[in-house]
Amino acid sequence: MANVLEQLLNALAAAGLLFLVSAGLSLVFGILRVVNFAHGVFYMLGAYVGFTTVALTGWFWPALIVVPPVVGALGALLETSTLRFIYRRPPIYQLLLTFGIALILEESIRVLYGPTAKGVELPALLRDAIDLGGVLYPSYRLFVVVLGGTVGVGVWLFLRRTRAGLVIRAVAQNSEMADCLGADVARVRTLVFGAACALAGLGGVAAAPMTTAYLGMGISVIVDAFVVVVIGGLGSIGGSMAGSLIVGAAQTWGAFYLPEAAMVIMYAVMGAILVFRPWGLFGEEE
Amino acid sequence: MSAPRVWTAAALVALAIVPWVLARHQLSLLTDLLIAGLFAMSLDLIMGYTGMVSFGHAAYFGLGAYASALVLLHWAQPVPVALLAGALLAGAVAVPVGWFSTRATGIYFAMLTLAFAQFLYTVAYKWRDLTGGSDGIAGVPKTELFWGGPSLTSPRAFYFVVAGCVVLSLLVGRGIVRSPFGRALQAIRENERRFTSLGRDPRPFKLAVFVIAALFAGLAGALFAPFRGFASPEVMFWVFSGQALMMVIMGGIGTLVGPVLGAMLFILIQEVLSSYTEHWMIFTGAVFVLFVIFAPGGLVGTARRLGARG
Repeated sequence: MANVLEQLLNALAAAGLLFLVSAGLSLVFGILRVVNFAHGVFYMLGAYVGFTTVALTGWFWPALIVVPPVVGALGALLETSTLRFIYRRPPIYQLLLTFGIALILEESIRVLYGPTAKGVELPALLRDAIDLGGVLYPSYRLFVVVLGGTVGVGVWLFLRRTRAGLVIRAVAQNSEMADCLGADVARVRTLVFGAACALAGLGGVAAAPMTTAYLGMGISVIVDAFVVVVIGGLGSIGGSMAGSLIVGAAQTWGAFYLPEAAMVIMYAVMGAILVFRPWGLFGEEE
Repeated sequence: MSAPRVWTAAALVALAIVPWVLARHQLSLLTDLLIAGLFAMSLDLIMGYTGMVSFGHAAYFGLGAYASALVLLHWAQPVPVALLAGALLAGAVAVPVGWFSTRATGIYFAMLTLAFAQFLYTVAYKWRDLTGGSDGIAGVPKTELFWGGPSLTSPRAFYFVVAGCVVLSLLVGRGIVRSPFGRALQAIRENERRFTSLGRDPRPFKLAVFVIAALFAGLAGALFAPFRGFASPEVMFWVFSGQALMMVIMGGIGTLVGPVLGAMLFILIQEVLSSYTEHWMIFTGAVFVLFVIFAPGGLVGTARRLGARG
């Protein structure tokens, strides 16, 4: 029983991180019709900028505040300087462009930080395990679960209950019509792209104390996030959440109960869902 | 003779002469480049002619390399046997992957192929008994041309095997894209919905071209293993898939010969820059981004456009 609770929480923590990355990926696709290959690199960037912030201030918490705007601003800058010019092309070119940007950013991080992984210390407040009715559980992981859940609910409320969210949903549904009705589509695209990168950066800095900041964390997370959005359906926040939970569960439970087959389980789940719903659980058929 | 024929004849003559002109290091670079070109060409079949962007094409190159390495190392068969084994293994694995991946289109297809390739990479990395894990398989010999035939250990002999494979593959590839089957692929690329509404099911065509592309990628990988003398998980890594995409775009998507030129450009940039900096990928990435924004037709596409204008 104790094991079950522990594994459940582990799955939720993994899902929380996955959600922070895949929600942005999905949101950007919904608004810009672009699959951002560089999204994982922004996650990695979040971890590295977080490392620098912790190194400079000696505290963990400022990193959580500093990283999202920095990473988000860089994302918005990239959207205005490159992506903006090729929206009219076939979608393949946008994917390739972000792939090129991912290569440049990844190599730049290698130049700046060197090839070795950078450890980030756990914040003092969350260093210990917490007692959950007989189960000792690392409190930082619990924090990640709460963070992922809070951001998920926050994004959902923002999209559903605010005026800005309404405009974003209008652009997602029909950008030409939204443009005619006076929405500043170009600005919405830039802001959404920036916000999505900020979310990925937040995911990266939250992951850093558990995984360290290392080169290659971007690609490993983007592959997982792709699996998440393939399962959940691109462009749907609910789909990202469901997909994150499924992939998080498949990864952590697979690693615990069937360590040899852990990798296979994630893909088996994806394959099974694709056979029945090629557009994902919450996606719409093209 | 028309201009393309002159170019083709000139290229064939050049390929036949260069082994006697180039220094050892240059010939080895050229061999490397032709293998990469063959790999990029195979990607162009699905990407340029059918409009399916695969982000996991390196998996089939890697499967070809492993199959060829094992055949040469453990059974000491002639090189063509290893090439056949490499191509067939890659093609065989592409059947189930393609069956799943072609259920999706566009972006979903790209993501699925990447996910499957990462899975195959992990298998190659973890299956130590067969693949040697992260060390890979070293000491792969260049055996002979056929049983009791001439040895291929000299760089010049092996170069001719590679050049022959590349020229043959280009011819076969051209035959495929000009056949009724190839026309159907291009129809799918242009408008899949119309293709469906004309009463044809696009999926068998997509699966077939995916498997054909994997066969050629496997052939390229099967040449790579004896040429370099090893097969390792790196050749299955996503970075390599991405590099193939860059070669296709920089050379000219949907032209078959363009990707070979793209591979040439890519490897030459790498060769020149890597003597100045280990971070050459930044510059290659920048060149690629410039191509995507300003010259989406690549070298060949842009040259044709300029030629048509002038």
